[in-house]
Amino acid sequence: MTWGLHVTLASRWLDPAETEALITPFMVLYAIHDALVKPMPAGPNTPSLAESWSVSKDGLTYEFVLRKLATFHNGDPVSADDVKFSFDRYKGAAAKLLKDKVREVQVVDARRVRFHLKEPWPDFMTFYGTSASGAAWIVPRKYVEKVGDDGFKKAPVGAGPYRVVSFTPGVELVMEAFDGYWRKTPSVKRLVFRSIPEEATRAAALKNGEVDIVYLLSGPIAEDVRRTPSLQLVPSQPPAVFWLEFLDQWDPKSPWHDRRVRLAASLAIDRQAVNQAETLGFSRPTGSIIPRAFEYALPFDPPPYDPRRAKQLLVEAGYPNGFDAGDFYPFPPYTSMGEAVAGYLQALGIRTRIQTMERATFLTAWREKKFRGLVMGITGAAGNAATRLEAYVTNGGIYAYGVVPEVEDLFQRQGREHDRARREALLHQIQKILHERVMHAPIYELAFIWGVGPRVEESGADLIRGHAYSAPYEDLRLRKQ
Amino acid sequence: MKGYILRRLGYSVISLFLLSVTIFLFVRVTGDPAVLLVEPGASKDDLEMIRQQFGLDQPLPVQYGSFITSLLRGDFGQSFYYRTPVLELYLSRLPHSLLLAGAAMVFSLVVGIPTGIIAAVRVNRWWDSVGKIFALLGLSMPSFWVGLLMILFFSVYLGWLPSSGSGTLLHLVMPAIALGWVFAAAHMRLTRSSMLEVLGSEYVKLARLKGLPEALVISKHAFKNALIPVLTLAGINLVIMVNVAVVVETVFAWPGVGRLLYEGIAFRDFPVVQATVLLGGAMIVIVNLLVDILYAVIDPRIRY
Repeated sequence: MTWGLHVTLASRWLDPAETEALITPFMVLYAIHDALVKPMPAGPNTPSLAESWSVSKDGLTYEFVLRKLATFHNGDPVSADDVKFSFDRYKGAAAKLLKDKVREVQVVDARRVRFHLKEPWPDFMTFYGTSASGAAWIVPRKYVEKVGDDGFKKAPVGAGPYRVVSFTPGVELVMEAFDGYWRKTPSVKRLVFRSIPEEATRAAALKNGEVDIVYLLSGPIAEDVRRTPSLQLVPSQPPAVFWLEFLDQWDPKSPWHDRRVRLAASLAIDRQAVNQAETLGFSRPTGSIIPRAFEYALPFDPPPYDPRRAKQLLVEAGYPNGFDAGDFYPFPPYTSMGEAVAGYLQALGIRTRIQTMERATFLTAWREKKFRGLVMGITGAAGNAATRLEAYVTNGGIYAYGVVPEVEDLFQRQGREHDRARREALLHQIQKILHERVMHAPIYELAFIWGVGPRVEESGADLIRGHAYSAPYEDLRLRKQ
Repeated sequence: MKGYILRRLGYSVISLFLLSVTIFLFVRVTGDPAVLLVEPGASKDDLEMIRQQFGLDQPLPVQYGSFITSLLRGDFGQSFYYRTPVLELYLSRLPHSLLLAGAAMVFSLVVGIPTGIIAAVRVNRWWDSVGKIFALLGLSMPSFWVGLLMILFFSVYLGWLPSSGSGTLLHLVMPAIALGWVFAAAHMRLTRSSMLEVLGSEYVKLARLKGLPEALVISKHAFKNALIPVLTLAGINLVIMVNVAVVVETVFAWPGVGRLLYEGIAFRDFPVVQATVLLGGAMIVIVNLLVDILYAVIDPRIRY
């Protein structure tokens, strides 16, 4: 089975120790490597190389028991020593956080390992056992010590369902099924990942039968694939939400300070129409900035498209003729979507100027709080409701322009709460406050659109909730010829 | 002569030094690479850690000092995106770029020179008009558009050629044409004007007066002399092709230096951009240096 990837294959994705706070490396990790615990069709913290895991009553110790049959591609058994080694050498996303919180990794015996925390931390498994980090993905200690870090990236040995046959950085990764994989022998014998950065070329390769699956199609190209009888469009649902951020709401002199104005803007957006135009209707309009798939999420229905009520609210707020809202910064490269949203605001009388910029510049300026006006943001960072909220609505949030004291208090309390139900209640309360105050105008949960060719019987789309790519690879199937 | 060569060599070193400073500073004003390596919403700690790993938390003079001292040892640094040595990446891509540039050059000469000769010999007749239209199209149609049209026609519609990638001669056909097209037009124009100039010269008139067949006059007397400026341009174009194939390599997923540069820019992979620009610049500086020296050898009057 061959994929046409929208991204450039990076060598660092072959080594779990370098997993950054991105979902993309997991596209490769799920094939070559395996984790103690990872998101699987059964749930977000499904035991994998560990056959079970448990947490002590005081919340200070997490114990993992390894599977007997799990081996690396070179035949070495996966041991507790490899688990400790992998954690110690890990330097990717959340590495500092995990190492600050973990006092010691104790190898109890060959198949048993304990993580002792300095203090109870309810999010340990969110960071250790999901795609929020790559810390739980295990590499063979002996082999890594023998070949070194650079050697490992050139010829990685993992415990996943596929072993690497060849890798040309940036170009192609070829893998073959590993018969010794503990979960099952993969049905598809050979996987090929090919980087094809140009969307039109990816679609051509799919139509031509050169590849079986392509990622990231949009607009007219996706429409063309949909019209081709032998191909199908498949949406996966990563935890990525678009929303309108009212940056000036913290300024009492700004019209955005008035909840009625924010609500008016939210009601003026026809989310379904934007969805249809941008993602062929595959995205899911939402009323929350927290993805539905996240733990502790409190889903809200998308606000209805009600321009009449929006106008009425604006009149009530004292802006019968609308107002000049300044700059509007759509997240690059979603300019056309930003223009559509700005068009709805314009129809209401809220006049904005679209400011487009390159992605790195945009993110830096947003983070350094140099923007005024409106931002149309999106993030697909892994985690749970708490980790998502932290970045945007709390004192420590790198994109938070202001904070509601009540929200901050609740956020601090949930961080200390060990009882899951009580923590969930606190996080739900925060989301209710954000919703009631209309702190954001959520738009939709983005669909990540794939094109799938005629040979594919099971593409792996959305088998794992919130995962953007094909997985688990051992479950994929090609049609019998 | 020795002084002249040393002076030119000195100028070349200064050019490369200025290029290194310029590219070092320019890539750094374009944004923070750390934010592109994580999801928006990643924690401060994660961003800080990436900056520390790349040395971006150091003051600019310290970063430049480290860059230049490594460079003098032949070390272009580690790619931020790939986490492998940049020189290794560059050298793995260079053969693909040379192959593509070579094939595009052959295409551009095979198409450009004969059409230029025919246009000159049949000047102001319909063949010349066809040649002019060809040159106009070649110079005005962007290579990515030519590339996409070819993919649609030859890959999707006819199914004759693979749409992208590398590995076989078939993979090379469309990228070489897409890249060579614009250069073919340029070579055609130069061949035409050069041939017209030569065909009007005294010795060609003499050859005709001697009663030599027209084919022999054109092929033996005119063509050889008209070819000199075309080949000079082709030599320079070959270096340019290696370095400007960014768009074509991206459209066809061709694993060359151009695509590496494109990725480097897209991901703010400073070491990759620095290395590809510097090595590309070094190629041009070296070619210019050799040309300067050759001029001086050929014509002793030349002493700039």
